[in-house]
Amino acid sequence: MSAVFLILRAGPLDPVAAILGQKQDPVMAHQIRLQLGIIRPDGSPVPLWEQYLEFMHGLITLNFGQSWVISRGTPVMDLIVARAPVTIWLGFWSVMIALLIGIPLGFYAGLNPNTSSDYLASFGGIVWRAMPNFWLAIILSSVLVSSQFFTESLFGVALSWREWLWDTGVIGGPPLDNLADPEQLFAAIKWIMPAAIVLGSSSMGNEMRIGRTAVLETINSNYVETARAKGLSGRIIVWKHVFRNALIPLVPIISGEAFLLVGGSVLVELVFGINGLGKLTFDAINSADLTMAGGILFIFAVFLQVMNIIQDFLYTLIDPRIGYEQS
Amino acid sequence: MATPVSQTTTESPLLSVKNLQTSFFTDKETIRAVDRISFDIHRGETVGIVGESGSGKSVTARSIMGLVDSPGRIVGGSVQFSDVDTVERLAEEYPGQTIDLADIRAEHDPAALIEQLQSREADLSRLNGPGMADRDPVELVREGSVTMGDLVAGGYTDQLGITDEDAYIVRDADDGGFVDITGASEAAYRKIRGRGIAMIFQDPLTSLNPVYTVGNQIKEAIRLHQGLQGDEAHQEAIRLLEAVSIPDAHRRVDEYPHEFSGGMRQRAVIAMALACKPQLLICDEPTTALDVTIQAQILELLMEIQEERDLAIMFITHDMGVIAEIADQVNVMYSGELVEKAPVESVFGAPKHPYTQGLLESIPGRHPDEDRLRTIEGDVPTPNVKPTYCRFAPRCPKAFDACDVVHPVNVDVSEDVDDNHTAACLLYPEDLPESDAVEHHRKRGDGGDDQ
Repeated sequence: MSAVFLILRAGPLDPVAAILGQKQDPVMAHQIRLQLGIIRPDGSPVPLWEQYLEFMHGLITLNFGQSWVISRGTPVMDLIVARAPVTIWLGFWSVMIALLIGIPLGFYAGLNPNTSSDYLASFGGIVWRAMPNFWLAIILSSVLVSSQFFTESLFGVALSWREWLWDTGVIGGPPLDNLADPEQLFAAIKWIMPAAIVLGSSSMGNEMRIGRTAVLETINSNYVETARAKGLSGRIIVWKHVFRNALIPLVPIISGEAFLLVGGSVLVELVFGINGLGKLTFDAINSADLTMAGGILFIFAVFLQVMNIIQDFLYTLIDPRIGYEQS
Repeated sequence: MATPVSQTTTESPLLSVKNLQTSFFTDKETIRAVDRISFDIHRGETVGIVGESGSGKSVTARSIMGLVDSPGRIVGGSVQFSDVDTVERLAEEYPGQTIDLADIRAEHDPAALIEQLQSREADLSRLNGPGMADRDPVELVREGSVTMGDLVAGGYTDQLGITDEDAYIVRDADDGGFVDITGASEAAYRKIRGRGIAMIFQDPLTSLNPVYTVGNQIKEAIRLHQGLQGDEAHQEAIRLLEAVSIPDAHRRVDEYPHEFSGGMRQRAVIAMALACKPQLLICDEPTTALDVTIQAQILELLMEIQEERDLAIMFITHDMGVIAEIADQVNVMYSGELVEKAPVESVFGAPKHPYTQGLLESIPGRHPDEDRLRTIEGDVPTPNVKPTYCRFAPRCPKAFDACDVVHPVNVDVSEDVDDNHTAACLLYPEDLPESDAVEHHRKRGDGGDDQ
């Protein structure tokens, strides 16, 4: 977080200019600087180390201060809480897509190595993996926006993505206030899907490839051979002896996706116009809202730490060789 | 092949491998990893298979277990497993692929069948040796050298259209019949694996699944093959661990493989194999990864278990010392072929094949006054063509010109009548002059299916 502080505060960002915009009024500028607390009343700048102490104290007490630029005077925490749900919703579904499509596909390919379906899945995985988020996001959103033209020319039936099953927008974020209502729930899922697919695409390809390798490695291991020699059926061998072992190398891949999600959500939310944390980060940095950016980055950092801890716990659940108690 | 008629035991063997051939097909070449080998294993007997790395020992074991992975495939021969329980279980499950000898006996006369075969000029050498084509079928049947069982086992009834080619289960009320494992489907194989034939592998450190407890893996076999459930299975697992001398078994049963030492893991693997209640146990170098003291303990354990359960053991190793300790009967393999077959005393007392002699010479400590260990120069060649020469000739100190052009077959080299000692080398039979011996091999080698 110290590095974050240095980069933000010692960098070229000028929040005062961002607030003032075109009209450069020295009096107002002075007032704003005073308000933000980067100069003393006598006009001398507050030294960086003092700002640093204040910043760190704020982080530790979870008091991130108030937004400087984006929404002046609103506490940073309030903004984060308001924007977080849609990002969590997006992140959840992109992880789900990666897990529910990537891993089964990878396992399937690993169980049927060197068949045409394996080649298809592997090739698809590499393509998904290689497609850049921002590019895929733009293509997908433009295709969906004009979906009725595509479906009409291809299948002869005009099918608009907006109206298909549930009425939703293509861009923007879904309302999440009433998920208990199934109608709303499905609409919200459908609404987030394009963005989630884009965000999950690269991790999906990744999980597919790692899953395939892991299964191949496990299936050629001696204990699987021993299990076959015992006369176990192929189904039991795959479900019991192969899957759990193949999951072990996948754990760090899955938790590593957290990093991708944080970075990716900034781009994807921007392209799809979703008003979430990613977009907030982008805006905060763009408009030199230093307290805002610092607060969000702190939340991201905490999130990644938590993911790492969860990963370690998952290891102990899957692999008995890893444990915390001394034996 | 022309099996020597002198059989040490009159009892039919538990497992009879006949002309088994397993090849691996790659883009470049076809590797004949197991090249028409034949041997028998009787109940309560330990048959050792020795040879260098790459001589086809493990592929033989895998072929018997049906665990040959692609691109490998059994391309010929048969593996007849004569366990009554297995035959009955499979016959019940797959009646369509079962031949009941009693029915065939009732409908057909073996002599008439042989006559039919002779008139079709079928190759009868699989029956009981060459020269069958000229003999009187009635006489053959009367003297008992050909029975209906032989006709079925040799696949002649398939040729005549009496039995289905896909049928591989032969039921025989008299001596239990057999299952030709090579014909079994994967599902049928699963019924044979474990309960009929169990196998333990070379590396005990990786033979157990690291994420399940030892008990869990043993119970898996108990549930599958003994039908016990829950607490009964648990108690049985503890009992088995005790049977393989694991101390504190009731606590150990819930531990993971990584909490076991190497020797204990191999014991656990043995317990797991025993949980299947097998008739035949195939041990693929089970002691190679263990240190010498543990090795001795494991061998002792195997011998104890064998005595208790009248288990047949096929023991694969490259260690002649281990063979001396455990085996009754020894098969020496070289480059996919069986080159010498004898009781253990004969192999060590009077080895016939130069390769066996070389192996024995290579045991450290045999020549304490020499500075260097003796070795056999060179490597095992990859058996990628049909042999028309002796595969050992390039490394053989006794090779002569004929070795490059004549493929040796197994000939009787017994010093005792009961020895049943054979070797595939042009130097034998010893009582013939060299040129006649070579001629003998050439002639029998041309006889088609001969080994």
